[in-house]
Amino acid sequence: MMETLSNLGLGFKTALSFGNLAFCALGVSLGTFVGVLPGIGALATISMCLPLTFYLDPIAAMIMLAGIFYGAQYGSSTASILLNLPGSAPAAITCLDGYPMAQQGRAGVALLLTTIASFIGGSFSIILMIGFAPILADVAISFSSAEYFAIMVLALVAASTLSNASVLKGITMVAVGLLLGLVGVDISSGAPRFTFGMIDLSDGISLVALAMGLFGVAEILANLMRDETPVVDAKSITFRSMIPTREDMRRFWPATGRGSVIGAVVGMLPGTGPTIATFISYATEKKVARDPSIFGKGAIEGIAAPEAANNSSVQAAFIPTLTLGIPGDAIMAVMLGGMLIHGITPGPQLINDNPVLFWGVVASFWIGNILLLILNIPLIGLWVRLLTVPYHLLYPAMLFFIVIGVYSVHNSPFDVIMTLVFGLAGFAMMKFDFPAAPLLLGFVLGPLIEEHFRRALMLSRGELSVFIERPVSLGFLIATLIVLLMAIGPVRTLFGRLIRGRRSAKNNINE
Amino acid sequence: MKLNLTRRVFAASALALTMALPAVPAFAQDYPTHPVRIIVPFGPGGLADITMRLASEKLTERFGQQFIVENHPGAGGVAAANELLQADPDGHTLVVMSNGTTIAVSLFENLGYDPQEQFAPISTLAWFDLGIFVNPESDHATLQDLVDYGLANPGYINIGTVNPGSTQNLAAEYFRAATGIDANIIPYKTSPDILAALIRGELDMAIESPTAFAAALANNQARALAITGGARNPSLPDVPTVLEAGIEGYEVSGWNALWTLKDVPEEIITELHAAIAEIALMPDIQARFAELNTRAQSLTPDEMAARFESDRLIWAQVIEDSGIEKR
Repeated sequence: MMETLSNLGLGFKTALSFGNLAFCALGVSLGTFVGVLPGIGALATISMCLPLTFYLDPIAAMIMLAGIFYGAQYGSSTASILLNLPGSAPAAITCLDGYPMAQQGRAGVALLLTTIASFIGGSFSIILMIGFAPILADVAISFSSAEYFAIMVLALVAASTLSNASVLKGITMVAVGLLLGLVGVDISSGAPRFTFGMIDLSDGISLVALAMGLFGVAEILANLMRDETPVVDAKSITFRSMIPTREDMRRFWPATGRGSVIGAVVGMLPGTGPTIATFISYATEKKVARDPSIFGKGAIEGIAAPEAANNSSVQAAFIPTLTLGIPGDAIMAVMLGGMLIHGITPGPQLINDNPVLFWGVVASFWIGNILLLILNIPLIGLWVRLLTVPYHLLYPAMLFFIVIGVYSVHNSPFDVIMTLVFGLAGFAMMKFDFPAAPLLLGFVLGPLIEEHFRRALMLSRGELSVFIERPVSLGFLIATLIVLLMAIGPVRTLFGRLIRGRRSAKNNINE
Repeated sequence: MKLNLTRRVFAASALALTMALPAVPAFAQDYPTHPVRIIVPFGPGGLADITMRLASEKLTERFGQQFIVENHPGAGGVAAANELLQADPDGHTLVVMSNGTTIAVSLFENLGYDPQEQFAPISTLAWFDLGIFVNPESDHATLQDLVDYGLANPGYINIGTVNPGSTQNLAAEYFRAATGIDANIIPYKTSPDILAALIRGELDMAIESPTAFAAALANNQARALAITGGARNPSLPDVPTVLEAGIEGYEVSGWNALWTLKDVPEEIITELHAAIAEIALMPDIQARFAELNTRAQSLTPDEMAARFESDRLIWAQVIEDSGIEKR
């Protein structure tokens, strides 16, 4: 304990040096900026900044790159709430309740609460990292394909009732997402699927292109088709209107707590990422809510939990990267590359060999999160003013940023065309009330479920029993079964009666 | 502290380079007249990207024009090749070709470009081999032990590699054919996934580049049984080659090279080749490459063309023998 504290002291001393503090501020500001702009995300920004960091001190470089990463998560909910345009794929879910809040004139409250939820989620994972990083990383990589399969199946089943549209339409969209996820060269066999002979499709469909098309371009098209654009009265958005009510806060805390935990668990597992974290936490809120019908109409839980999960997962993603040298996603891989360029080898020895770097970077996370609070809360009024920019100026600008952002991920014109195609498809889906969120979920989870199912069977030489012999996998599969059973009306009623019965029995005793 | 020293040397050399820039006069009479683009068919942060960025700094210094690395990742290097095909044949656009390209020409039904017909080699830059890795606690002390175990227990060896059709994956197919063991090749998405699987103990061996596993070796998360190149890897002097370990006819090494359009004037290619050949011998480049477990060495354009063809023939055979579906 004392050792941790003294290490942390060393970390804060490093992170608070003038240069490092400046690079931290630069990173989080840049991150917030690209996060707010739809399309331009953390991956593209970090890739572009990576060569610049060759000339920096490695600690300053890591602090800045990491700042861009988590700063972008703060920013990405802003456009979701104000314009129904997610700043990045994980923030797509924040549109569902964030935008209705803005339409009700509660944009200020939504922005304030998502910022606080982000801070709490981020802090939660940072505390985990300080206290338990090496142990958690070992647990995370001990999960094999069987465990991943079971976890992803639970996520898919739990989240397939994500939207308020008809169940049939929701499931149809999950299926379409699963099919879109199959496009490209199959990881297990090397066979091309649904590529129609196009080499551009053999790497699969880009998540950024899909999310920006379905949520961004489609929303812009839908606004063009509306006879009257909604007019926002800037004067009605006063500072007082940003203060949440007591009822808001009562619903905010537990949702934020659940989101933080879910985000940390998902974020630690290599290969999952924040999009899955936000979707699972939103689905969880819907499952635990007494009245699920409030979702999609501006529920506080619907913005607090995903935003906490988003930030919690990106901070937790540093745990396996820094302690084992095993990056969980593309962004972490680029950051790992950045460390290798500086001659630093991340791994179990990093904490001992280079404590200044490890603790300095960890401490900078917290400083960065505090800077983001300072940066975002006073700026809420500024962001809300965005709503008063005339739409004929705002939307072309947003379309421009989406195109640049999608292009910059892989420098690929093909991805831009895909975005526009998905924009048209998303617009048609909107017109016919097909929800886009389940499609994105199927797209993200489908390929992971298939990959891990097949790899688990390859490793077990075809024995299906591998899924029930491993305790973690078995546990998640049982949980999946319970969620499925609860979805059947009579079972739920029976279960509800059982619980109520026991409660009333208890009450009787108390009397 | 060793790490700090490396960083300081690197930062100092980078700084010296930036300051030296304006002082260097334009080298050739009329080439290059404006910044030169180097198109890398991989994302930033990988071996090809890092080595090219190191070399591009030297090229910038030498030619007095910026050499800018651009990443155009995509299957089969198609996106990168298209960038080159759309450029003027004036030597201001170069592309990185790799051993992966020699696979792609056989793996893809219709690649959309033919490097041997449309492009001209300038020089190789980086050379690397692959390693055969096991868990540090593996029972198999030598490669021969592992092969003997595999021969005695058909179907029980799991070999992990990245994506089907990658050099690592085909090297595993080639290994299976060369040793005659009945092993399962299990594909993973990324090399960190393979490392995690090796640590978990679900793989008996993995074929991956020593560059990707450099940190894992330093951290004792993996142990190298053999190296696939023709000679030992200077960074791993105690690790035998697969040939030395007793498996006949097995040799795999990868390379990254600069190519450009076929119609680029001969003099420009000669001049670029001379520059790369010189850069490859620079002590700081040699040292930085060695840190990345790779080797800087130039081949002449003719040698490069011959190497491309001989690699292409090997992989075409491996792809045919292993029955991998064409794309």
